[in-house]
Amino acid sequence: MKHYLLTATLVLLGIAASHALAASFAGTSAGASSAGSSASSGSTSGDDKLVREAREDAAGFVASDGRLRSARLEAALRVMRERDPAAAQASDLALARRILAQD
Amino acid sequence: MRPWRCLAAVLSVAGALVPVAQAAPVFRLEEGMPPEEAAATRQLLDEAAARLPATWAQALDRPIDFAWRDDLPGGVHGRAHAWRIGLRRELLQAWMARPAPADASDQATHAALAAALHELAHLYDRTRAGRLSRDPRLLDLAGWQEAAWRPGRRGRNDFRDRSPDAYELRSPREYVAVNLEHYLLDPGYACRRPALAAYFDARFGTATPRADCAPGLPFVRDAVRDGTGPQLVDPEHIHAVDYLLAEGNSRPMSRWGHGMLRLVVCAPGRQRGPDCRLDLQHHLVLSFRAFVDDVQISSWRGLTGSYPSRLFALPLGQVVDEYTRVELRGLRSVPLDLRRDEIEALATRAAQLHWNYDGRYFFVGNNCAVETWKLLHDAMPRLAAMGLQSITPNGLLARLRRAGATDEAAIPVDADGQVRLGYYFAPANATYDGMYAVVREELATPQADAAAWLELEPETRREVLPRAGLRAAAALLVLESAAVRREEALARDELKRRWLDKPEAPGGTGELAQALREFLRLGGAFSRPASWLDGVPGYGLPQAQEREVLERRVAADAAARARQAQALEAGVRGLLSPRRRAALEGAERNLELLGERLRSLAGESS
Repeated sequence: MKHYLLTATLVLLGIAASHALAASFAGTSAGASSAGSSASSGSTSGDDKLVREAREDAAGFVASDGRLRSARLEAALRVMRERDPAAAQASDLALARRILAQD
Repeated sequence: MRPWRCLAAVLSVAGALVPVAQAAPVFRLEEGMPPEEAAATRQLLDEAAARLPATWAQALDRPIDFAWRDDLPGGVHGRAHAWRIGLRRELLQAWMARPAPADASDQATHAALAAALHELAHLYDRTRAGRLSRDPRLLDLAGWQEAAWRPGRRGRNDFRDRSPDAYELRSPREYVAVNLEHYLLDPGYACRRPALAAYFDARFGTATPRADCAPGLPFVRDAVRDGTGPQLVDPEHIHAVDYLLAEGNSRPMSRWGHGMLRLVVCAPGRQRGPDCRLDLQHHLVLSFRAFVDDVQISSWRGLTGSYPSRLFALPLGQVVDEYTRVELRGLRSVPLDLRRDEIEALATRAAQLHWNYDGRYFFVGNNCAVETWKLLHDAMPRLAAMGLQSITPNGLLARLRRAGATDEAAIPVDADGQVRLGYYFAPANATYDGMYAVVREELATPQADAAAWLELEPETRREVLPRAGLRAAAALLVLESAAVRREEALARDELKRRWLDKPEAPGGTGELAQALREFLRLGGAFSRPASWLDGVPGYGLPQAQEREVLERRVAADAAARARQAQALEAGVRGLLSPRRRAALEGAERNLELLGERLRSLAGESS
């Protein structure tokens, strides 16, 4: 049993670790982000998640002066523009900065 | 066994009078049946015959001897042999004891009709016009799948979950009889087993109405990060299906890559078309994986098929993270060239697998490539004819391409375009040196490249953070994220080594053990969706009533799982060596500080 427990824990760690990673991407302290997330699968929460997940992509874009453009970044920029008319006028770089500035 | 006695040629009057074009089968009742019983029997057989599609009725072109039997083994409702049908006598008794107006929703009526139709199905299946149980297409749909290694089919049918009647899995013949029985009697059959209903419709030239089906195909996503309920996929909103290949790396388990399918689902309100390619948050990845409840993947268990092979439905974002950021492997997404009806058939088949399939994983004979090939094969006859079977994910892609089954014209020619539009997800480490070059230029750090920079202690790397401008801080965010992931991998390795070498666990694992069991139980449920509907009546694709239960249970389990993951992570962290733990937390602290720095920099400059 002990052996099972130990080995199973390791599998778990793989899962738990990427969980923490996601939390770090969201800019919160590890482990805190999903506690409050609702069980809803509505498109708004999906959009928010898309933008959160694009944080590293936005960082690459800003650091490379707009050279590195991933699908995730493109998708996040499009969602931001579709949701916010003011964002529709903003440049890609401005929106990428906005992603980096998000909590 | 009671012998079949000489049977009187009692022709059904109705049968004798109908014109040939709508011929009903002719029944000869057992001699000596009391008149009341004979009348009831004829009523039952007429009602059963009236439900037969014309082509089926016509194929029953010889008189059928009918008898009530007292000698059938327990649980057997009927027997059919060479133009003879015998049904269990209790069915007649219940039929005769029914309240006056009784339709198929009445239990006794339903049981007797079902038994009669089941045996008529056996007779039909044996006629030249029938032979459904030998039709390769029926066998594909039913789950007696073609073998990847050799000609012929597998002897087992692993579509075991949410079966209307486990008896159907005994043989293709029983499968046909059980399913025809439900096809004719159960108004929900076309909703629950749409592909089979369509197959029978085509065979009989009839059309089963499907108006009352619950909308969309339900998939429960195995989203480890946050609790989400089932996702409903409307095949009408699927723009395309891609073959998604995780490129191999040098590790033995990953050398051949991993093959998956990606449903390019459009966002609600977006018109179906190429624009849907960037609705990444709605895309669903279908991935066959062995469900491993143990950290040591055992080659022996993999060779002998003792791991379950199941179809997982995963959010695309999670898959991209897993491969490109954690495993540092590229993901290639190649659109398949499919017709609209094929896309619908593929999605429906995937849903069927998701809810009904509980297979066995074999490293060679039934791995992800074989399973994905079988999904394509069984969903679409056109692809089945292409000879695509392959035992490696790369091999399957090569064969799809060679057969012209991929839509190469849709893929941008240039590498940048492929990355920008999600035809290729590059491994994260491809950018690390470029990112470090930005840091080095702005902050004059002495290290030569990203690898050397990441070798430094987290505290040393932290020193430059307050000086970083927006570009350098952004580059550092990418690098520190990589550092955290690397520390996590090292922590996993350390635990694996220490715990496996010294099975006596460190103190304080009692609570942890309990939490772990609960976590694994929840993980198991996410890998086998049918388990959520244990105890809920219904089969095949879940309909409205099951979906209500499902929604509730999945949401609760997903939330519990997220909580467990956090609690466990904290618990397991305590088992790390102080040095390893400090390294992990140092990198995490850097990331946190960078977040703050970026918030102030990006906020002020925009």
